[in-house]
Amino acid sequence: MASPATVELSRWQFAITAIFHMTFPALTVGLSILLAVAYTAYLRTRNPLYLQMFRFWRKIFAVGFGLGVVAGTVMTFEFGLNWGSYAHAVGPVLGVTIGMEVITAFFLEAGFIGIMLYGEGRVRPRTMAFASWMVAFGTLLSTTWILSANSWMQDPAGYTEVAGQFQARDWWQVLFNPAFAYRFPHMLLAVLISAAWFVGGIAAWYLVRQRSLAFARRTLSIALGVLALLMPVQLYVGDETAAFMGQHQPAKLQAFEGNWKTDNNGYNLVVVPDPGRGKDDLRIEIPHLGAVIGKDLTGQAHVPGLLQTPPDQRPNMWSAFYGFRAMYFTALTMFAMAFAGLVLRLRGRLFTARRFHRLMVWMTPAGLIAITGGWITAETGRQPWVVYGKIRTSDAVSQLSTAEAALSLAGFVAVYAVLVAVWVRYIVRVVKAGPEVLDVTTLLEATHG
Amino acid sequence: MAEYASYALILFALGAYVVLDGYDLGIGILGLFDRNDERRKEYTELVATAWDANESWIILAGVTLWAALPGIYATVLPGVYLPLVVMLLAFVLRGLGLEMQSSAPGYRRGWGRLFGVSSLVVTLCQGLVVGTVLSGLPQHGGVFDGGALRWLTPYSGLCALGVTALYLLAGAAWLQAKTEGSARRRAGRLGRPLLALTVAACLVLGFGLEVADPQHFRFDQPLRAVLFGLLVAASAGCGALAWYGFGREPDARPFIAVLCAQVAGLLALVTATAPVVVPPGLTVHAAASPVGSQVFLLIGIGCCMPVVLAYNIYAWWVFRGKYRPPTPTALAVPAKRVEVHIDLTVSHIVVKETGLWTVARRVGFTLLGLGMLAVAQDVFGGQGEWIAPVALVLFSAGSLTAWLVGDRRAAAAGQFEIDRAARR
Repeated sequence: MASPATVELSRWQFAITAIFHMTFPALTVGLSILLAVAYTAYLRTRNPLYLQMFRFWRKIFAVGFGLGVVAGTVMTFEFGLNWGSYAHAVGPVLGVTIGMEVITAFFLEAGFIGIMLYGEGRVRPRTMAFASWMVAFGTLLSTTWILSANSWMQDPAGYTEVAGQFQARDWWQVLFNPAFAYRFPHMLLAVLISAAWFVGGIAAWYLVRQRSLAFARRTLSIALGVLALLMPVQLYVGDETAAFMGQHQPAKLQAFEGNWKTDNNGYNLVVVPDPGRGKDDLRIEIPHLGAVIGKDLTGQAHVPGLLQTPPDQRPNMWSAFYGFRAMYFTALTMFAMAFAGLVLRLRGRLFTARRFHRLMVWMTPAGLIAITGGWITAETGRQPWVVYGKIRTSDAVSQLSTAEAALSLAGFVAVYAVLVAVWVRYIVRVVKAGPEVLDVTTLLEATHG
Repeated sequence: MAEYASYALILFALGAYVVLDGYDLGIGILGLFDRNDERRKEYTELVATAWDANESWIILAGVTLWAALPGIYATVLPGVYLPLVVMLLAFVLRGLGLEMQSSAPGYRRGWGRLFGVSSLVVTLCQGLVVGTVLSGLPQHGGVFDGGALRWLTPYSGLCALGVTALYLLAGAAWLQAKTEGSARRRAGRLGRPLLALTVAACLVLGFGLEVADPQHFRFDQPLRAVLFGLLVAASAGCGALAWYGFGREPDARPFIAVLCAQVAGLLALVTATAPVVVPPGLTVHAAASPVGSQVFLLIGIGCCMPVVLAYNIYAWWVFRGKYRPPTPTALAVPAKRVEVHIDLTVSHIVVKETGLWTVARRVGFTLLGLGMLAVAQDVFGGQGEWIAPVALVLFSAGSLTAWLVGDRRAAAAGQFEIDRAARR
């Protein structure tokens, strides 16, 4: 058995590398679709604005995608490096799922991204558009497979166990497991939404500064259009996902709602849990709201508490609760802003509302925060299991010495800290430099002689 | 039978990785020893168009290993923990250096050095891993039990140097194929010494394997011995062709020869060791997944592989021939004049508002927002399952209409025209 310290260190390492990796797809999936749309719009209208948009967002996409690839490579090997026993047990099921992800999605993206980034002037514009769509399609496929694999760990289905190893009995059930039906749409919407806030926030910054106005207006309009469409849907899908988890992983819901005893009909805003005594040291709540959210309009129903779960199967309430609050409160803010955007559009003031633009700038990372919070809830709320109800995290780890695990963790923390700094600085620089100025008159002369 | 097919697939992915990423790692290291910034920028651009796809092969190799031979994946990776982690970290830094370099207009020495050094570290670590695996990982019931520094042996050290020489060779061969002028001449000159170094490393490592590896090679089986002999001969022949081709037209010859030599060499190694994958005793059979998983994986990957190869070859074909930076005129795609129709009926009409109306409007919109929020949270789900979906569809239809109409108006008012916006 590996020591408890090795388990802890490996968990931290996985959490850090996974969160870090997650922030890149959270932007690049949505950006890839925006790029494909912009280039297609350019082909159809020949409006240079769309080319300007394509080239600008491509700069950010290129670096984000590259960093996402290398951070993803780390994840692929980490399953075996730190979680050897887990890898051995689930390899015949999840190894196959992720293998399919690599062959169908990863190669598609990697194969076409070279053309998309460096193909201008080398291939026909039509091919550029095709490559952009293929990259976008690849990122979507990738999201699908990864969510399938992770959902299987949340709610395993379609398997048999032979000598401590999982085998697929029915691949359809493995891939499209019950949790997948909820978690995939939730995550897909989340990545689209977070990319929309990202581009919308940057566009709003240009409007605040009164620079590159056409570019900024076009981008902001698309971003807020997407958001007004998707935010309410996302709240609904999220609610359904939480309800599903309440059925299939009751402990997770109990932990992220922050109750110990099942005697509270309020909605907790802040809790200071004391897991040792099984009660909250501090609790700030809105009375009756918890019951209302749980579909009881009389406001009397009690939200289930964590004491219903045996002590050795309880997740950490701190991380589940605050991860969930980070996601949920950000989601409410996002909804309010998207709604305000809709109202401004109806009143014809979308491009002139200065105060709204300033707020939008602050919303740039909102989607990333919500996604991170959501994943913290999903993953720590599943503990102490790595495959829910089947393999405990403490049994999943490789035979590593504590020193090895500590060294690698330190290495990842150091390298990723540098990477975050460089990435943020890069984005800031690109944004400050602004979209390239396309000289429209010379372009027109080139065509008309 | 299925496990051999899976093993073949893993070897194919691994071989593709060594052949493809080998050259771009080699170019990265060669860049460290070049003092001309223009050439170094060219090297980076050469790598930048292809590295995503090249690196994907090691991910495929890793994942198919996990899916098809989980026994090996779970034993080997913890056994070479530190070199592999360092390799991954170097991968990350390499990607960073490369992307920052290629997104910068000129040549940035700092990013260039990061790219070069991390390429070297990746290569050395891969050598260490290969050396450790070849010389055997002690394991007990599928669990590695050899200690944290098992990978630190003279053999694995030598192997690291050998892999470096091999990648440098592949890098030089690729540069001869893809560049012109002084870069091509340099690559042609470097080729032969690097080839000699690689051959020397292969000989030392090959004979050293007997000593380092406790397994018994079964060359008494005639088929195996003959096959092994043929593959080694083919590899040597290709090596000789590469020797002849460096610095001579056609420029693609050295790389093709090196590629064939690598493939033949890898196959020779497998011929000598199969069915053992990791010495001393971990065989393909012992480590394999259940047949069902392997068949699913093989069918899935088998169906996709032709497509994957097709578009990889297409992507390669787009950037075929000598590297040339795209000309600015090629980048400026000609634009058609956009006809602007200003629709007078939708131009802005400012309505004078009274205070009461403003308050009413704000209250109304706030209530609508809160109502939509409550509906989206499925608060009324107890009253009727249909309420939330129906309300969402209506709301979405409304906001979509608002979006499209708003966009059309803005476009008609010229708010999306670059030149008009600039003039304003």
